Amino acid sequence: MRWENELARPLHFLAIGVQYGPSVKLVASQRSTHVVSAEKFVARTFRLWQKKRGGRRTGSRLAGSVGEAVFFGILFLLGAISLTAVITSQAMNPTPEIYRPGFGFWLMVLVMASFALIGGTGVVWTAVCAGTSAERRSALVKHAAGMELISDAMPTSLEFPNVPRDNFLTNSPGVKLKYRLPTEQSNIWRLGLSALIFLVSTGVTSVLIVMVVNEYLAGTPDWFLTLFAAPLIVANLWAVRYFFSELRSQTRFGPTCIEISNHPLHPNSECEIFVSQAGRLSLKSLVLSLVCEEEATYSQGTDIRTETRVVSRQEVLRQESTRIEDGAPLECHGTLIVPDRVMHSMQSGHNAIRWKLTIVGKSERSGTMRRSFPVIVYPALPQQTNNANGR
Amino acid sequence: MEDNQNGALATLSRSRFSETWKTVGSLMEPLLSLQVADPRRIYQPGDELECECQIDAVEAHEIQAVEMSVLWYTEGKGDEDLGVHYFARRVPSDSEDRDLRPMHRFTTILPNSPLSYSGKIVKVRWCARVRLFLKKGKELYLEQPFTLGNVATAQDAPS
Repeated sequence: MRWENELARPLHFLAIGVQYGPSVKLVASQRSTHVVSAEKFVARTFRLWQKKRGGRRTGSRLAGSVGEAVFFGILFLLGAISLTAVITSQAMNPTPEIYRPGFGFWLMVLVMASFALIGGTGVVWTAVCAGTSAERRSALVKHAAGMELISDAMPTSLEFPNVPRDNFLTNSPGVKLKYRLPTEQSNIWRLGLSALIFLVSTGVTSVLIVMVVNEYLAGTPDWFLTLFAAPLIVANLWAVRYFFSELRSQTRFGPTCIEISNHPLHPNSECEIFVSQAGRLSLKSLVLSLVCEEEATYSQGTDIRTETRVVSRQEVLRQESTRIEDGAPLECHGTLIVPDRVMHSMQSGHNAIRWKLTIVGKSERSGTMRRSFPVIVYPALPQQTNNANGR
Repeated sequence: MEDNQNGALATLSRSRFSETWKTVGSLMEPLLSLQVADPRRIYQPGDELECECQIDAVEAHEIQAVEMSVLWYTEGKGDEDLGVHYFARRVPSDSEDRDLRPMHRFTTILPNSPLSYSGKIVKVRWCARVRLFLKKGKELYLEQPFTLGNVATAQDAPS
């Protein structure tokens, strides 16, 4: 092969863009025109404090690893020596009283043992991280994930790495079509939390109000208790209002049901879809869309933030000016077409591609309803691509 | 990219054929070469990826290990994720003459996912990577990107 011969020739030996690790930079010295390491000529001042810029650090990785190992080593030695001393002294001069549960002997043993455990684990982990590349660690993780018992419990299959499994989407049969899709549960959790706050704050505030009123009726008002109860009453009023607004937003539109004839989805494929919207309301519009969004989780200082961005939105169904009556839900059939050459669903540690069906209903009086139903889009395999091209 | 490559090539050729090679030899960084067989570098899931790597400008006894991997990683707003599809580590005892510098070929069947993707805040990149460990504790690596699949670039969707 031609490229093999080229590789063997010395003049063609240099690879494209040799890249070096974070602490090593290549420069071309103007005087000698030789490619040399800048670190060999530029003296580096020792800096006690280093900066962390995202995943990068300004300091030496080796020095960092050594410092980390020293810290954990000292912790391990401190714990191990102290633990040995405590146990040895007790063995040499036994005093049965100290074995009683309390904050004496056993607390000392617990603290020293935890020092030794954390220190020992830290030393081992630092040694593993310092001696291995990111690829090798990832390969070890992949090897472990490939074991039969573990792979069954993993969120993605071995056949389609990093594509979420669709088990939780296909375990509910539909009435009209094959599968009934579950909804995202975030709103239910919000309603549950607001209900809990509402119940607790109402209970506490009611007891306080009864006590305050009784003291007023007895002619011995407790001004401190009254001042203490006043802000609680205000907070309780807010909790009541918030709970009922959440309850109204969850119940005013009635349940939404989406059924689908095929799952998982694939790019450049289509399937039947059925939507049912119950309730008693007038809708200006009801729109069902297939949405793809990217999700990125990143560290900002000590915070962990998540950002999402919608990159694809395709309208599947639209109903204008519709009136829904009790016992007669709105029912729509349609065809869901997944666009060609779109990214499949993906889930990794800090990044994700999510697909979902989003239904947005705009009511004349009750505001806007927005509900989402996750779906999984698998990658198009070559034979599928070829078939699609041949159609 | 091509300009940089040619520039580096010229620098090396002058060094090698001049008398100063021996004197600056100890200052030269080792050279890594990694070639992907398909010049188009566009693959589909299930395709075979074939790569060749070679090392030069370093003594054989200075090499501690060489790692070859085929992996994907993410770019963009989120913290980086990395997944290794193929990994092989060679140490001098793996070679008959304890020399890891000669050309070494490795192949792997590419997986079904994740496919290469250029999104707005999430990007998925595939590459073949060779990492050289020297006995001085220094590491060098070189990677060659390639594309897996045929996913279109993302556009901002209307809200």
